[in-house]
Amino acid sequence: MRISTSQIYNQSVNAMLTEQNQLNQTELQLSSGKSILTPSDNPAGSAQIVNLNQSISTTNQYQTNASAANSRLSLEGSTLTSVTNLLQSLRSLAVEANNSTQSSSSRADIAQQVSQGLQQLVALANTQDANGEYIFAGYQGKSQPFITDPSGNVIYNGGQNSRYLQIGPTTQVAFGDPGTAVFEAVPNGNGTFATAASASNTGSGVIDTGSTTGTFVPDTYTIAFSQATSTSPITYSVTGAASGVVASGTYTSGNNISFNGAQVSISGTPANGDTFTVAPSQDQSVFATLQNLVNSLNSNAATPSDQAQINTGITRSISEIDQALNTINQTSAKVGARLNTVTDQQNTNQSYSNGLQQTLSGVQDLNYASAISQLSQEQLALQAAQEAFAKVQGMSLFNYLR
Amino acid sequence: MASGDMLGPAVSGLLAFQTEMATIGNNIANVNTPGYSRERVQLTPSPPQYTGAGYIGTGVQVSSVQRIYDQYLAGQLNSATSANSQLQNYSQLATQVGNLLADPQAGLSPNLQSFFNAVQGVASDPSSTSARQVMLSQGQSLVSNFQYLDSQLTSLGSGVNTQITNSVNQINSLATSIAKLNGQITQLQGTAGGQQPNTLLDQRDELINQLSQQVAVTTVPQTDGSVNVFIGNGQSLVMGSTAIPLSVVPNTYDATRSEVGYTVGGVTTDISNQITGGTLGGALAFRDQVLNPSENALGQVAIGLAATFNAQSRLGMDQNGNINQNFFNTIDQSSPQVLPSSTNTGSPPATIGATVTDVSALTTSDYRLDRTATGYTLTRLSDNTVTNLTNFPGAPQTVDGVTLSLASGTIAVGDSFMIEPTRTAAANIGLAISSTSQIAAAAPISTAVATNASGVPTNQGTGAISAGSVSNTTNLPLSGAITLTYDASTQQFNVTGGPGGTLAYNPATDSGGKQFSFPTYGGATFTISGVPANGDSFVISNNANAVSDNRNALALAGLATQSTLANGTASYNGAYSDLIANVGTQTQNANTSSTAQQAVLNQVTQQVNSVSGVNLDQEAASLVQYQQAYQAAAQMISTSSSLFQTLIAAVGGH
Repeated sequence: MRISTSQIYNQSVNAMLTEQNQLNQTELQLSSGKSILTPSDNPAGSAQIVNLNQSISTTNQYQTNASAANSRLSLEGSTLTSVTNLLQSLRSLAVEANNSTQSSSSRADIAQQVSQGLQQLVALANTQDANGEYIFAGYQGKSQPFITDPSGNVIYNGGQNSRYLQIGPTTQVAFGDPGTAVFEAVPNGNGTFATAASASNTGSGVIDTGSTTGTFVPDTYTIAFSQATSTSPITYSVTGAASGVVASGTYTSGNNISFNGAQVSISGTPANGDTFTVAPSQDQSVFATLQNLVNSLNSNAATPSDQAQINTGITRSISEIDQALNTINQTSAKVGARLNTVTDQQNTNQSYSNGLQQTLSGVQDLNYASAISQLSQEQLALQAAQEAFAKVQGMSLFNYLR
Repeated sequence: MASGDMLGPAVSGLLAFQTEMATIGNNIANVNTPGYSRERVQLTPSPPQYTGAGYIGTGVQVSSVQRIYDQYLAGQLNSATSANSQLQNYSQLATQVGNLLADPQAGLSPNLQSFFNAVQGVASDPSSTSARQVMLSQGQSLVSNFQYLDSQLTSLGSGVNTQITNSVNQINSLATSIAKLNGQITQLQGTAGGQQPNTLLDQRDELINQLSQQVAVTTVPQTDGSVNVFIGNGQSLVMGSTAIPLSVVPNTYDATRSEVGYTVGGVTTDISNQITGGTLGGALAFRDQVLNPSENALGQVAIGLAATFNAQSRLGMDQNGNINQNFFNTIDQSSPQVLPSSTNTGSPPATIGATVTDVSALTTSDYRLDRTATGYTLTRLSDNTVTNLTNFPGAPQTVDGVTLSLASGTIAVGDSFMIEPTRTAAANIGLAISSTSQIAAAAPISTAVATNASGVPTNQGTGAISAGSVSNTTNLPLSGAITLTYDASTQQFNVTGGPGGTLAYNPATDSGGKQFSFPTYGGATFTISGVPANGDSFVISNNANAVSDNRNALALAGLATQSTLANGTASYNGAYSDLIANVGTQTQNANTSSTAQQAVLNQVTQQVNSVSGVNLDQEAASLVQYQQAYQAAAQMISTSSSLFQTLIAAVGGH
């Protein structure tokens, strides 16, 4: 084919331009480390990068949430541990106070310690996290949940729900527990029923907290004592408000009285007309339990019946502290389970994120080895084009027609 | 034989070879002139002289100077040129869009991610002012990002307008020059007795080739030497020595868009959709295929985000206890635009309202509403699907999630309206709130078991109630608490307050959890589980003071990964990545075609050059050839002279 002179130049120049263009593209890839410089380089890959980045970013956010949950749940866990320790020491004090060797004044000292313990417990229940949020306040996290009113009662102002954090695509974890569940919803008595002595009792009868034998039939039972004369045997009858008379017999101190799934034991000498009640457990706050203990400890033991009231009260308080410990242990166990969930999810997130990073790297990152070999190939091609031009441009017939 | 007989052919040779060498000189001089076709002198023997001995040659004569030119190749060169410049322009413009949208910093995706991370931040710490501030700031920056991207696309649109104006001006100027050359060529060809004015022909071919860079043309040579030039579907641009200029006219619906106008008999019509090829064709195709769809797709994400995020935000409660608050402005209501045609005749002119009522059904297409003689039709312009609007304008009509209604005025037969549901959404998106306390992180209601004054639960049974959620804002906030009290004998909850009535609950079968809902009270939905005792009660009340409640924030954060767009197939980010993939694919196709077309253009250019281009070596050889021939002819004269001298000397007077 006939070649025109301008064509010779144009072709060489075109060849060099093409090679330079390719070289430039490879250089840009090498300097950025990316194989996709513009969406048209790989449209599907570009869309994939956008989606992968979103997944990675979302997973990172889950990790942030998970570590927030972790620190908050750890704080809750350690607070609950402090609460447990405090309640256990108060329980020891109560056991000590129930000892018959205690005098009114020594009980008053103990009452003083329990009272301080109560204040410590309120402080613990009002624990705030690093952001100033009360951890046992439910949704009302910025208002102090436990407030002591002028008459010394601790009132709960918080909510009954706690929020959840998203720590995985489908995993949410409770961020805390509302104060209701931890400190307020503690069943009184032994957890099934609560025993009490009538305030008007004149004898020295002391009722224990009882236990269940089979299924307790919920009802309010009154155990009434009667003694015709001071020498006649003491008898009792148990009457349920709804159930009617369910048990009766002759009283022997320390013997068990059983009825409708409940078993209680009364010791001492009840007087004629003394009554004791057995009622289904109701929720009672741990603060009220401690306040009751303080009140019992502060009571004056002038008569045997006063002493009996005090002993009944302390015995019941010990049982109720046990119930509170039980509730708190259950909450601690839930916190521990959540911490496990968080840790598991953190691991899952991490490996998911690693996988995504790897995929992303596969899509967007440059294969340096092949890019560099391509670069040298293109350099070679450019050099060849330049050399060809240099050779060809010197060739003209006019050079020889001198 | 007379010596004059010798001189004649020799002199004719000298003259012919001079012409040859002059032509070679011209070829060499024009070796780098664009569009120059090399020329060759056509030599023919002079008419012979008759003698008794027969015919004797009288030398040589120059019959014509011809340019070496192939009409077919020239046509191919023009079409390859216009195809190539169309694809190059298209791919350059589309690459800008792709780079803009996929930019790791300026693109929407990273901002979308940061925003939703900030929402998650509020969900994990709803009472934190700083977390709320981050969400508000990220929301602002997301909104700005939408606006920035849209402004960049709009400025590309202005750039297209400028390109159209420039192209039309250049086409008109080239057409005028071609028409002028046509006139000169016709005239010169007449006066030169049919000899071709090669230089003018080359010039005209070069101008037509330049015209091909702007727009695809077809040429029809005429017998008088002129060439008629046509564009589009046969609109004549040059007829003989007359040029018919194109004009730039505003789009019938949208005056901000420039179109190509063609005037015949005083009537100007928009011929943009008939224009192909060249820079102009590339710019028009880019606007139709990449720019407008991209702006629409960006708007679709904006409307989808605003509408779905707002819907959830309205179900939440902010720190001031307010419900029913939007986070973004309501671009789903305000942004769809309906542009009446400038040729509408209805009086008073009709105003048509369009709002987005179902974002998941929303497409990225524009629509055209026409009133025909028989009714109203709506054409989806992306695929030309026609929907007959049977009840329009009597009742609002909804197509693809867009509800159209006649706001005022009259629609005459033949009137048409352009409906752009998403075009301006990205430009118009904004925040509806300005304070961190207005972020609706909490749910409007809360549930609780009944408690005494100290906050101690009073229920005897194990019944529990879930935190609950709402699905509308009817009767919210509640005018009073709703109390559910269990009656064990009838196994139902008696509802006081709210809707009243009873809710059946059988602990034997329902203790695993039974869901209830009050559709007319916020659609409040909650689950009761466990075994409630007789008289146990639950309370559903306004969620007062709930700074730590994140239920609504969690729902808002969850929107990031939900497929709320494109009929439930794409998340916000998914829709955006589809946009990037679409622009990328179109650019890639344009690039690939452009590379192929460049090869075709090179090939054709090579062929044209091969035929018409000057080769200096060839010219050098010819120069030597004709130099030698010239020397030989000169030698003939010299010989003739010496013959004459010899003769004079021989017969001289001695």
